[in-house]
Amino acid sequence: MAPKIEYYCPCLSESPHPPPPNRPSSSYSFHPLHNLFFCEECDAVRCNRCVSVEVSGYYCPNCLFEVPSASVRAEKNRCARNCFLCPNCRNTLTVVPSDPPEDVDSRMSPIVSTTLGEPPFFLYCNHCRWDSAEVGITFEKPTGLAAQLQKFEDSAPEALEFERLKEHFEPFLRASSSSSALPSASSHHVHTNPITAAASSALARDIPGVGKYNPLSRSRVGREKGAHRQEYPDYKSRVEVGTALSGEADVEFLRHLETVSQVAALEQRWTNSWVSPLSASDLKPLRIPLQSKKSKRCPSCRHILIKPEQKAQSVRFKIKLVAANYLPAIAVTLPHAQAAIEMLKRTSKTTSAAAQAEEQQAAGALIAGHSYSFHLAFTNPLYDPIQVRLAKAIAPAQTAEGDEAAERARRSTFQIQLPSAAFPVGAFAEAWEYDDEDEAMFLDDDGMEVVEARGKKGKDGRGKTRSVGIVEKRANVTIVSGEVLIPKEARGDVKFNMLVSYTYRSDDPEPSEEAQTGTPSRSHGANKGPEMKNFSFYTVVDLGSIMYREEPKLTADL
Amino acid sequence: MPPIRDKFTIHSKAVVCQDVELKGDITIGAGKSSLHLRTIVHPKATIFAIAGPIVIGSGCIIEEGAIIVNRRKEVMRIGDDNLFEIGCRVESPTVGNCNTICTRARVHHTLRISSYCVVGAGVLVVPTEDEMLDEYTVIYGPAAERRVWSGRGKVQEMDLRRKHAEYLREMLPKFNRLRRGDGA
Repeated sequence: MAPKIEYYCPCLSESPHPPPPNRPSSSYSFHPLHNLFFCEECDAVRCNRCVSVEVSGYYCPNCLFEVPSASVRAEKNRCARNCFLCPNCRNTLTVVPSDPPEDVDSRMSPIVSTTLGEPPFFLYCNHCRWDSAEVGITFEKPTGLAAQLQKFEDSAPEALEFERLKEHFEPFLRASSSSSALPSASSHHVHTNPITAAASSALARDIPGVGKYNPLSRSRVGREKGAHRQEYPDYKSRVEVGTALSGEADVEFLRHLETVSQVAALEQRWTNSWVSPLSASDLKPLRIPLQSKKSKRCPSCRHILIKPEQKAQSVRFKIKLVAANYLPAIAVTLPHAQAAIEMLKRTSKTTSAAAQAEEQQAAGALIAGHSYSFHLAFTNPLYDPIQVRLAKAIAPAQTAEGDEAAERARRSTFQIQLPSAAFPVGAFAEAWEYDDEDEAMFLDDDGMEVVEARGKKGKDGRGKTRSVGIVEKRANVTIVSGEVLIPKEARGDVKFNMLVSYTYRSDDPEPSEEAQTGTPSRSHGANKGPEMKNFSFYTVVDLGSIMYREEPKLTADL
Repeated sequence: MPPIRDKFTIHSKAVVCQDVELKGDITIGAGKSSLHLRTIVHPKATIFAIAGPIVIGSGCIIEEGAIIVNRRKEVMRIGDDNLFEIGCRVESPTVGNCNTICTRARVHHTLRISSYCVVGAGVLVVPTEDEMLDEYTVIYGPAAERRVWSGRGKVQEMDLRRKHAEYLREMLPKFNRLRRGDGA
């Protein structure tokens, strides 16, 4: 598995610090960058879990007709034009005319004109060649088919029963919605459950021995509400439940079964709203379910984070505050794995794709008892350069140099070294605005400085120095290197939380100033400047799981 | 194995592009009725008669990248009005009439195809034992499910195929060199 990085959204926990990454539940707090939003008002990351979602429009995915929300309910959330799903394979169906009457002459003549369609018309699946004439559905004219089919649907006993139930509860719902304005909590509880009441009374009637579920009997507080309940009469079902189940016929059908495909598969049945036939040959075409375009709001300030354009054909957004436009994108790579994959590509060309994938996985493995360097590539989406500072996050307290070792020993078996100094990431610009001089200018002092600073630390920690610092800097991408040291007894995944904080400025920077901010002390000074802003966010870096092998052949020395 | 001897017989009305890979004993466009339309072979199609000869009827359309292979000693007969779509691979010993082999479908040499069959896009048909596909069989989907087509709409489909062939007969020679058979 390739190493990956995910970003933290603090919506699930009270503390701003992320949960330890080795907990299985922590995965719910971390998201890929492209799934996240960024609220400018709150200056915070928002994820799909915490935003509030609103439907901004309904449309049919097949004909892209925008359905006004008023008619969505009447059309039962399905396309009311000529869009149908094949009940057999769920492809879209086309309307075709019948074949002209077949005789010997038409077969022999080279081209028969079929432009004039002959009724009856029927629905035809181009994929599995199902046609609606098989289930006896044909049409006299090729337009308005959905209306004709909806008539069938609406006349189904289940649909009629549902309509009657709705009618029956209509006055009660209206009464309850008016009385729910009362501050009484108990009455609210009772009145919000007319569906429960209906279900329980239906259950009590159909299955002897099941008592009626009455919330009033449980909570004697709302006794005076009992009188209100009596006002509304019992509902008399007009559908016999016993016949709806039709167990005898099903048994008979199954007894004469020859192939499994005669029974409608689960996928064929569950797109249908009502009782669907058990045998595959009785399945009816389905009107295509509508889809909706949704806009999302920030949960705290109610500002819109993302809003699609109204038109169904359009794939653009009117408002789009996605985190990828605000936070630097980070990509993790393991150089030793990449080198190994390159080697494999060169040496073995004949092996199958599956075997190759397996080999690649083995090559990228982290073996216990070794240390590996990893690269973090930061891509700046902002139009201004940023200064990024990394820290290994140890919840709840921040990483302090003194107790770091003790913390590490307790929490994780592997050790992570990250560049401690801040490093710059260039501003995002259109591709043609970059030129070569930029890159040369940045690399010299910044890179040296950081490596040196890190090198000292490395010596007192492990006795040998490794390059932890800037590896490469070009355009708006800076690649820094970190190191992971895996002891022999380490097990599990190499997964750690990383706090990324970056400073950015709203004004355009002076080029001379830019060169100076490379040193950590200067950048700290610059932090206090009025035009500098700071933002930090947590990420989880997953480098992969530790292998227990003792074969050192694939560990490329880096 | 003796070296494959090339012998191409291409009907004078068939449209076979120059850039077609042919190998072995191949006959194209040997339809019984003269009223039938010509067979069209697009450029970059491959027809391989490795062991036995291949005989292709009239009115067939063989699209780009389609591969037709005969691995058996006996004659591989492909009937009339078949459509071999882009990138399909057919090794069936016999193919009847009016079949469609969709894009990137693969049919193994253990399957014989009768008439009016459809092998769906990307379907891999590899029966372990010799099998004859019944007429109007449709194979579709990733699991190679089968069902029997009612045959409604087949007249229209055949009309469409003839129009398709007719159009190609006019257009392909404008942009491609044509190949002529040895004898014809």
